[in-house]
Amino acid sequence: MIEAQGLTKLYGDFVAVNELSFAVQSGQVMGLVGPNGAGKTTTLRCLAGIIPPTRGTIRICGHDIANEPIEAKKLLAFFTDEPRLFEYLTVEQHLAFTARIYQVANYQELAKPLLEELEIADKADKLPGELSRGMKQKLVIACGLLHSPRVIFFDEPLTGLDPLGIRRMKDSILKRAREGAAIIISSHLLHLLEEVCSNVLILKNGQKIIDGTLAEIRQKFEGLGGANLEEVFFHATGETKPPPVIP
Amino acid sequence: MIGAFFYLTGQSWKNRTLMRLRRMKQPKYLVGAIVGVAYLYLYMGPVMLHPNRGNWTGGTITPENRVLFESFASAVLGIILLGGWVFPHERAALIFSEAEVAFLFPAPVSRRSLIHFKLLKSQVGILFTTLIFSLLLRHAISGSPAWIRAVGWWLVFSTMNLHFIGASFARTMLLDRGISNWKRRIIVLALAALAIGAVAVWAARALPPPDTQKFERLPDVLYYAQSIFQSGPLPYLLYPFRLMVRPYLAPDARAALLALGPALLLLAAHYWWVVRSNVAFEEASVEASKKMAERIATIRANRGMTTGKPSKKKRAPFKLQPVGLPAVGLLWKNLIGAGQSFTWRFWLIWAWLAIIVGFSSGMTAMAARSSAGMNPKVMGVLVIAGMIAGMFLFMSLVIGPQLVRQDFRHDLPMADVLKAYPMRGWEVALGELLAPTVILTGVQWLLIILCYGLSSAFGEQLPRELRLAVASGVAILAPCWNVISLLIPNAAVLYFPGWFHSGKGAPQGIEVMGQRLIFFLGQAVVFLVALAPAALTFAVVYFIGRMALGNYGAVPVGALAAAAIMAGEAALGVMLLGKLFERLDLSSESVS
Repeated sequence: MIEAQGLTKLYGDFVAVNELSFAVQSGQVMGLVGPNGAGKTTTLRCLAGIIPPTRGTIRICGHDIANEPIEAKKLLAFFTDEPRLFEYLTVEQHLAFTARIYQVANYQELAKPLLEELEIADKADKLPGELSRGMKQKLVIACGLLHSPRVIFFDEPLTGLDPLGIRRMKDSILKRAREGAAIIISSHLLHLLEEVCSNVLILKNGQKIIDGTLAEIRQKFEGLGGANLEEVFFHATGETKPPPVIP
Repeated sequence: MIGAFFYLTGQSWKNRTLMRLRRMKQPKYLVGAIVGVAYLYLYMGPVMLHPNRGNWTGGTITPENRVLFESFASAVLGIILLGGWVFPHERAALIFSEAEVAFLFPAPVSRRSLIHFKLLKSQVGILFTTLIFSLLLRHAISGSPAWIRAVGWWLVFSTMNLHFIGASFARTMLLDRGISNWKRRIIVLALAALAIGAVAVWAARALPPPDTQKFERLPDVLYYAQSIFQSGPLPYLLYPFRLMVRPYLAPDARAALLALGPALLLLAAHYWWVVRSNVAFEEASVEASKKMAERIATIRANRGMTTGKPSKKKRAPFKLQPVGLPAVGLLWKNLIGAGQSFTWRFWLIWAWLAIIVGFSSGMTAMAARSSAGMNPKVMGVLVIAGMIAGMFLFMSLVIGPQLVRQDFRHDLPMADVLKAYPMRGWEVALGELLAPTVILTGVQWLLIILCYGLSSAFGEQLPRELRLAVASGVAILAPCWNVISLLIPNAAVLYFPGWFHSGKGAPQGIEVMGQRLIFFLGQAVVFLVALAPAALTFAVVYFIGRMALGNYGAVPVGALAAAAIMAGEAALGVMLLGKLFERLDLSSESVS
């Protein structure tokens, strides 16, 4: 479903992502983790076709995003950490607009249950400025899921959500994966990733440190005392132990 | 504590300056700086190099008119300061940045220290403004040495700053004592009216009544004004303000030093008033700082276009079908974003109004002209109305594309969202250009109808056939003209996204001024080049067509041919704009 081969992104002399290769299959949820500045967001933006990679190929459900961007983008959804909405469109108008862009003929049938599932059905005529951050996040998700994407990218999806929102988001991610979507999640919340991800890819300075299923990665670090993803992360990124507590 | 404030203010200024200098490594800022310096040199150089050729033409101070100048300046100052008591309605709020609120408010810093910090910070702006005013108004009015003018400006600005802060504190204290804003305004305005009334009554009794015949001569007007300013109650009323302006208007060093004492005393009194006011401003300051941060964020997001008011729900211009050309979705979205209800009904109502007004004016003009007793006033009104409508039409064609920005200029902050859509670059470009084109063309067609009707007042000077030919020609050319006009700034936004910053939170400085100048000139040149083939086509078709269709009939035909050329250019431009959008990489812009 998602294939990256030799993905490289340069900004002048600065290497943001270097020769990154991986694949995510239908039903898999891959956690993209790494320290700040590792290249996670750049990777996701390349995968979503927002910025062109300097080198390498990206395939979404078999469509090369460089040569067949329209076909590839029709199949994916990208959720940024900050909800990006048009401040002058209401919730309802956002859905109508998204339906037109993605050519979703029966969007009204799909939108209603989606809004109810996300508990924003009563906000249909509200502007983004009248919604809380969590509500905005839900609207972005409703818009993103309207065309039933087969590939989903989440960049820090749990930022700003309350505990109930986090639980619902996790359930929603797992539900889409069960329905066959290939999902990549970038987050620093390792314990939460551990609950939803089947696979993990650790990045540092734009380089892939390790990737595989959670079980494989845990097994690889078993001898070093890598019991959970947090421990694995510290070992894999060169930190042999968690940073000391600041007095 | 004051040392820490000096450190914060000084380091912030130093780092901002260093950042601007470092930015010169980027060619776009370096080129901008060179052009900006060149412009400033050309503008200010002659004034600085040839002091006697100052830009002030309103006359300078002489011993005879010194009191008049001083009184007039103090009256203006008094009115400005009175505004500080009349217009504001909020509680006292010293505006701090969000970082300053986060660091200083929870810190063990007294309220008085916060006021000192605010005063210190405001001095950076006051000193800069003093420098600019001293340079720009070199040798203006006073003709005194530079240092006297600089000190004079500094005293005026510093006292005004303190007075406005003090007034805001007093306002808060009055509100706390149950005196509402309206009560305060009524009291202040009543006192002002009382003072003006006293002056008027005195003038009526003490001065000979003004001769309206003599008032046509300026010296007589000045003499009467001088009499009011020099005697009676007004000199006493304006006395504190005269103390403020006197150092600036001092002719020499001795007079300046003599004037400095009272002005500094007044400044010190203001300072004492401000720091001794025990008013809780913190809560309102936090709120005001938050609003300011939000406003800056909005300005940044909209690239300088902000109404300052929260968005209200807008009616959709038409029902958007879920299937069809995706670019129409962007048109629909941007028409909603334009802030008006651009529905079919809206256009129809205005079209009917334009037709009714235009043609009833035409009928009136014809009736007035055919009747023996033609009313010149009616004709005059129609001619003026026609000229105003024509001027608006001209302005909409020339500066309309700069004002209606519901395109990439508005959507650039959402570029990554647009790039994720399954749309080809040209589709996005087309969708972005459609809304301003529709709005501008609609408004221009309405104005053309109006102009056509109103221009009938010109009678035989503008025959009906000529008016019809010109109106139809302009109407045919308007849509393509608008698309091409819009292509250029939109291409500039996508080609140099980092240059498109404006508003308070945007990069500032001489280099940014230079960048804007480059854009303005570049846009003008590219537009003229783009119009050249269409103009040539119009000329050729018109001269051929006039043989078969006559002078007037050939105009719309020539316009159609020119419009076809412009449509071709527009189509090519949309494709190129689409390519530019596909290549746009905002993240590299922010990294570079």
